[in-house]
Amino acid sequence: MSRVAPLAIVLAPGGPRPIVRQIADQIRLAITTGELGHGARLPSVRALAGQLLVNSNTVARAYSDLASEGWLQGQHGQGMFVAGQQGRLSQTERRRRLDEAVGAFVATIVEVDLPPSIALAAVTAALQDLDARRVA
Amino acid sequence: MARTDNVLETRALTHCYGRKRALDSLTLAIPRAGIHAIVGANGAGKSTLFRVVLGFQAPDAGESMLLGSPSHHLTPALRGRVGYVNDAHTLPAWLRLKSLIAMQRSLYPRWDEAVLSRVLGYFAVSRSARVRELSRGERAGFSLAIALARQPDLLILDEPTLGLDVVAKRAFMEALIHSAQAEDATIIYCSHQMDEIERLADTLIILERGRLANYSAPDDFTERVRLWIADMPFKGPDPASIPGLLQARRLDGLFHYLVLDQGDGFGDWLKAAGALSIRQQRVNLDQAVSAFLSAGHATPN
Repeated sequence: MSRVAPLAIVLAPGGPRPIVRQIADQIRLAITTGELGHGARLPSVRALAGQLLVNSNTVARAYSDLASEGWLQGQHGQGMFVAGQQGRLSQTERRRRLDEAVGAFVATIVEVDLPPSIALAAVTAALQDLDARRVA
Repeated sequence: MARTDNVLETRALTHCYGRKRALDSLTLAIPRAGIHAIVGANGAGKSTLFRVVLGFQAPDAGESMLLGSPSHHLTPALRGRVGYVNDAHTLPAWLRLKSLIAMQRSLYPRWDEAVLSRVLGYFAVSRSARVRELSRGERAGFSLAIALARQPDLLILDEPTLGLDVVAKRAFMEALIHSAQAEDATIIYCSHQMDEIERLADTLIILERGRLANYSAPDDFTERVRLWIADMPFKGPDPASIPGLLQARRLDGLFHYLVLDQGDGFGDWLKAAGALSIRQQRVNLDQAVSAFLSAGHATPN
């Protein structure tokens, strides 16, 4: 059986973001940056619940959300593993999420009142930074 | 009442102290397994509910069942399957822990020494100490260890972490999370600590003046409450006319409205009421629950 990949997650309970989403977001980010590579084995629900000090049903829910989005793959009796790239999100779902993110970004940036070129440059830099962290 | 898989069940349960209704036609069903948090302002009826359900007090009206048996008819064997820990952690002060443990072991047939050792391990207490030598946190830990070692089907915790320091609180939560997984007990947990509830609870049950005001996952409840901040001319709309209003405050001339079950349509409502600019944001569980409890007229569902 493969060894469990260490997983660093910082929770901010008491915030408006539900714990289940905080967990899912950080695992998604860890997969995106390559910190958790394809095939990496995640901690068991019980272990991660103990690590984060949360109800194990919360961890189980985060895992099953990620599995249904295609980020993780359950292997019977062996736990959860990082899935391959394919099938992570459908084309329509990607488009929908992109629109949503752009909408939220534009709504925020409008108030800042800067020329679009500066906003675009900042986004490009942030995405390049993410790319640099990604292990090819 | 039909037999079900609920550990605790009440139907139209009513109990009055003089003219005050501590339980007001309360109908509640808590299913087996999981951690269920009960929240309510002081006097919301939590303690009365436990007294009635445990058969220590007869209700004025309605029915209540514990582990499938009527509360007024509980056998000693059935009581042995229910654990109860409150913030007083009352134990005989002069006894050494090991004598207390030996006594408990002989009283409870399902006693599990491994569970006792594991839970005590979170709190680092010596078994040769006397109860009076324990700190508040150690006493809480010891009470919890004993309660869990009895292997109850149902464990009721009434504000167990009240007054504990951060270390003891953490140990308590760790022991609870582990037990909910391993021993498959149902835990009913009364607390005012929303950060704990957010981490621990499967279900958030809110009691308000003896009635059931919410029964859902904590996140689902938080999702129902939104904060809207609006710049309104003059005095703003009459609070009584605002849909779903839980709490209204005026800060720096802006109106802050905490509202329940209002979608984005509430923004249109504010605009129609003359709002010049509007922001909305999510709130955390603590804000959602306190706004909900502070609103006198909240009647969801």
